[in-house]
Amino acid sequence: MSLLELDDVHTYYGESHILQGLDLSVEDGEIVALVGRNGVGKTTTLRTALGLTPPRRGTVRFKGEDVTGTEPHTIADSGMGWVPEDRRVFAHLTVAENLRVAAHAAVDPDARLDEAYDLFPALERFADKEAGDLSGGQQQMLAIARGMLGDNDLLLVDEPSEGLAPQIVSDVVEALRAASADTTMVLVEQNFRLAMDLADRFYLVDHGVVVEEGDTAGVTSDDERIRRYLTA
Amino acid sequence: MSLSEYARDHAVHLAVALAFLLYPPVNGALLASPLADETTAFLPGITFMIVVLYLGLFAMSFDFISGYTGYLSFGHAAFYGTGAYFVALAANGQIPGVPGGTPFMITLLLGAVLAGGVALVIGSVSFRLTGVYFAMITLGFAQVIYELIRSWGYVSSNPTEGTTIGGDGLAIGVPYVDALSLKVGRLTGDSIQNLLGLGIDVSATVVSYYALGAVVLVSYFAMQRILHSPFGRVMVAIRENEERARAVGYSTYWFKMAAFAISGFFGAIAGGIFAAYSRSVSPDNSYFFLVTADALITTIIGGFGTLAGPLYGTAFHQWLEDVLSTESGGLATYLREGLPEAVLGADLFGVSLELFVNTAVDGRAPLYLGIVFVLFVLFVPNGILGTVRDRLDGAVGKRLPERLRRYRR
Repeated sequence: MSLLELDDVHTYYGESHILQGLDLSVEDGEIVALVGRNGVGKTTTLRTALGLTPPRRGTVRFKGEDVTGTEPHTIADSGMGWVPEDRRVFAHLTVAENLRVAAHAAVDPDARLDEAYDLFPALERFADKEAGDLSGGQQQMLAIARGMLGDNDLLLVDEPSEGLAPQIVSDVVEALRAASADTTMVLVEQNFRLAMDLADRFYLVDHGVVVEEGDTAGVTSDDERIRRYLTA
Repeated sequence: MSLSEYARDHAVHLAVALAFLLYPPVNGALLASPLADETTAFLPGITFMIVVLYLGLFAMSFDFISGYTGYLSFGHAAFYGTGAYFVALAANGQIPGVPGGTPFMITLLLGAVLAGGVALVIGSVSFRLTGVYFAMITLGFAQVIYELIRSWGYVSSNPTEGTTIGGDGLAIGVPYVDALSLKVGRLTGDSIQNLLGLGIDVSATVVSYYALGAVVLVSYFAMQRILHSPFGRVMVAIRENEERARAVGYSTYWFKMAAFAISGFFGAIAGGIFAAYSRSVSPDNSYFFLVTADALITTIIGGFGTLAGPLYGTAFHQWLEDVLSTESGGLATYLREGLPEAVLGADLFGVSLELFVNTAVDGRAPLYLGIVFVLFVLFVPNGILGTVRDRLDGAVGKRLPERLRRYRR
């Protein structure tokens, strides 16, 4: 049984048909990368999985259960976490409050907070600062930590390297690698090398459908079947 | 936590409460001093300070939902009106199941609970919408209730004019214990002669001021406590990014509903104490949409999403109102009486100064408030308290002591 399964999903924003019959499955413990150009539906795939933009057709199964059309908070509570693009931390809550809000389902929130601080020592230093005052990299750390806190079995990570300096990106990659020890991950990433580096498998998305998939080992962007879809 | 620690944490709260507590005697002392004329002209009278209390509480309840969840409750007058009408009708024995003579504290709470229920009904429809649509539909609900109450013959024989409370003054305090309750109202309130044998007389107006102030204080702390609880943090999370809050696993709909009900509850408390003090309610001073607009304006001047800010915004508003009207002293009276005849008659671009004062100052508070409001939106968008917090980099109560310590070194 796959942890997450999208079966022929069609998702719309109003009249625009974004996902046009996308299939995807994620097994327990792996890191799966979604790659593809801008606007092909990678983020929408994550939003569809979490129920933020439910599909009009097709089914979403999480842990073998059909969750199509279920409220996002119910899906989130059943163990799916989201690290949205642009980080989107709660800017006017402090770092500690951001984490505490995310750890609400945990049995012992304080212990979970300590774990997060162990993984990201910078967050402990800024625990009482408003999250909006952090740097981009720190906010990304916070967003990832927040995603991990909810005792999630699956973490949807959207564009973790976006808008970050190269040095910070490598910190974020380390953080994601550390996080992946505990949880399965679906990663949307523009930076192809980084995605291949982190993930076990990849799906190449174009115009709302999966056009290529496979193991990441040995795959480079020079590969003809990939280059076709990545170059503008 | 020990009492002294608690006092230190709430030093600023204590200071503000003390300022409100000491205002009547200080004002009274000034009135007896050579500065009497200036005091009547430039300091708000006690009656204006009472308005600050109940309208301030109403504005705070407005800020509770609007400033902290980001959902603008443009129909907030519905709750204020519900509280006011419930109290008034109950005092006249017109509420089925609530016998006449039920203590005011109980009818106040019942009215507030009813308003919380009204909020749940309005919210159940309105929270399907966001942004400006939410604001508009809540406004629509409030206007519907306003029209209904204007023509509901049960209220009084002339429902457009509302109703008045007959009988005794309504008492704030411990229900059924006369010794621990104080009647409020300008004419019906208790006055205290020889307070605690100290030879101090407290007028009925001042007694009302303190009694209403106690209710506002308790309500403020209740709301403040809720906002600092995990529940309140989720409210802010909804304001910052509702989608994200749902993705973390919160059923934001129910959090918004609960916050709206709490906000409606305290809005009705404000309406209830207003009714008890003024002893009359009308559709136009309770359910009307401009009542909400007042709260909106004072909230923006005081600071959106600061809870205490709206109280200061209301104080500012009422101060302006008092100075620019002739109801109790005021600037116009002061100038007319203080300036010599020659100056008043002086020619100023074709009009005498006296005429200028009469037209440009007397009763023109709304004009200047409008100008001040525009200036605030343009230059002080975070309001009074919001700007102070930005400067101090945190809540005043937390940061000010640190700042002061720095200067003491």
